Amino acid sequence: MRKILLGTTAVVGAALLAPAVAVAQEAPTVRIGGFFRAYYGNTQQSGRNSTTPSSLATNTSGATSNLNQQTTPGAQTTAIGATTTESAGNVARLSKNDFSTDAEVHVFVNGKTANGLSYGAVVEIAFNQQEGRNIVQQRASTGKTTASIDEMYAFVASPTFGQIRFGDEDGPVGGLMNSGVITNFGTGGIYGDRESFVTRQANVRTTTSPGGLGDNTKIIYLSPQFFGFDFGASFAFNYNEGEDTGCPSNQSSGFCDAAYAFTGASNFGIAAAGPNQSVRRNEYQAAVRWRGSLAGIGLAVTGGYVGAGAARELTLQGTQARLFNNLNVFQVGAQASAYGFTVGAQYEHGDANFFWGNTLRGDRPMDQFFTGASYTIGPVTIGGNYLIQTVEGGSRSSFSAAAANAGSSTGLVANPGTPGVGNGTNAALMRRIGWGVGGNYRLAPGLDIVAEYSSYTVAERGRDLDPSNPGIQDRNTAKVFILGTRLAF
Amino acid sequence: MKPVLFAFVAALPLLAACGGENQRLVGNDEYGDWRQGRARNRPQGASAGIVVFGVDKDREAREAAASGGGTGLSVNAYLWRATLDTLSFMPLASADPFGGTIITDWYAPATANGERFRAQAYVLGRQLRSDGVRVQVFRQTLDRGQWVDSPVSPSTNSDLEDKVLARARELRSQSASR
Repeated sequence: MRKILLGTTAVVGAALLAPAVAVAQEAPTVRIGGFFRAYYGNTQQSGRNSTTPSSLATNTSGATSNLNQQTTPGAQTTAIGATTTESAGNVARLSKNDFSTDAEVHVFVNGKTANGLSYGAVVEIAFNQQEGRNIVQQRASTGKTTASIDEMYAFVASPTFGQIRFGDEDGPVGGLMNSGVITNFGTGGIYGDRESFVTRQANVRTTTSPGGLGDNTKIIYLSPQFFGFDFGASFAFNYNEGEDTGCPSNQSSGFCDAAYAFTGASNFGIAAAGPNQSVRRNEYQAAVRWRGSLAGIGLAVTGGYVGAGAARELTLQGTQARLFNNLNVFQVGAQASAYGFTVGAQYEHGDANFFWGNTLRGDRPMDQFFTGASYTIGPVTIGGNYLIQTVEGGSRSSFSAAAANAGSSTGLVANPGTPGVGNGTNAALMRRIGWGVGGNYRLAPGLDIVAEYSSYTVAERGRDLDPSNPGIQDRNTAKVFILGTRLAF
Repeated sequence: MKPVLFAFVAALPLLAACGGENQRLVGNDEYGDWRQGRARNRPQGASAGIVVFGVDKDREAREAAASGGGTGLSVNAYLWRATLDTLSFMPLASADPFGGTIITDWYAPATANGERFRAQAYVLGRQLRSDGVRVQVFRQTLDRGQWVDSPVSPSTNSDLEDKVLARARELRSQSASR
């Protein structure tokens, strides 16, 4: 796969560089753009509590462990399936109200050669890399607003052979060519900025949006459009981005891009998004899109596929276990626009957990349905969207080094959890349901006032999603109201 | 599944080259930018942001469009081209598309001994109309080794103007039929 993609892009590259019709050469321009936004948010979230800090810093474990909460003061987060006792004390509510600011500064370089080839680069500087800090030392961690890179890539485009993008950028399925994902109102509804206000307790913030697939370093081919069709494909070796290999010593971790097996891999089927720790390897995406109009109605339809392998777990005794399914998801989406209305829907099915995680072997596949609609009249846009997703809940199995060392190829053992007891679960189905409604008013070009209300629920029968409160809470919801302003420049 | 995908990927660039007339380059602003949810409605692609280095072609085009020309010229493009074409047999001394002036250098036709000409043309406005161009021809004759100003026949100027207008009409009809 990789060889073919690299080979074909090399051929295309050679073709692109071949002399074509003489066109006026344009010296490169450098542009600065970006956005600033500031919101007030009111959040109502079940299990939105502060408890004694766990000994693990936020995000040193995969997203699944956000579903597990510390129940014994000072102890580590409990493992999936372990029976736990309810916390006795050490619980206080968190404030419902907050302000949130964010900005990005984008640098665009664009030029054109004498033979009609356009080229350039995009570097997006973001200031939201650090979500929070658990370390209590002063100055021992970076500030929350430290600059980091969101996306950076270079591109070369020819009218005949299309475009190659190379760098940290979304893929064709992961944001570039999707249809039916209606998010052009408010901050984006259920895929909007609500995450800025929701804490990670019970993980009622992590959606499986196209962009969630990640802007890991990849090479992307995007075709020209012909007869309304265009298509794209991408390949990435792993989930990571940026310059180095991520392997500062030969004691390789999951941060090491090149590690095909590492200790603790079983925790990172679902990526830890900030530090980009994930077992995803050799990711390829392909999408075909058609755009056109019938009877004055603008239409767009996209079909896509994303596949990836997974790193193996490495036990301390040196056994490697292939415990993950390959990522293997099909996607179809369609949207229609007329008279200011846009409606769309998207369906995804395949082997994945939420946030595009690799599932453990034997886990159920993901199904996700998304639909949305928006209406624009003059400076006002209003809209709403809805999604329902079913994924594997607390896995029916978990990794056991002992089992792997004893010869099991996957190292997976059935979870002992009993439904209805503590975190106990056994092959339950997790449902993740969300909706958002919102609007924005254009005060001036680039300057919007936005308002939005959204709700996201994680539900799983028999599993206690809020262990800090007595009883079984098998449903967790976060509702967020946002009012604020956004300036794009 | 995989062989099908491989074949598909391998075929992509080849297929892409077969579009012919129905083919066009997809603009960078036609791809989703997943962060767009936050930065929505800002110009994307090649016209995004504010130019800090280089020539802002978009701005030039915008300003030309705002001033009504749309061509980067502040005078009628057909008259301008036609005047240049008509006077092209003489060496050009200066041409200012914003002021609409074309001034040639002295030119001595091979057949006319002791006689030389110079022309000044003014394209007067944005409209393509018969009084939109003025041509003034100057003539000098060689008198005892000295060039001295001589009168020009009064019809010369209007003849040249007619030639410019005819050429402008030709250019206009050529571009309309395209």
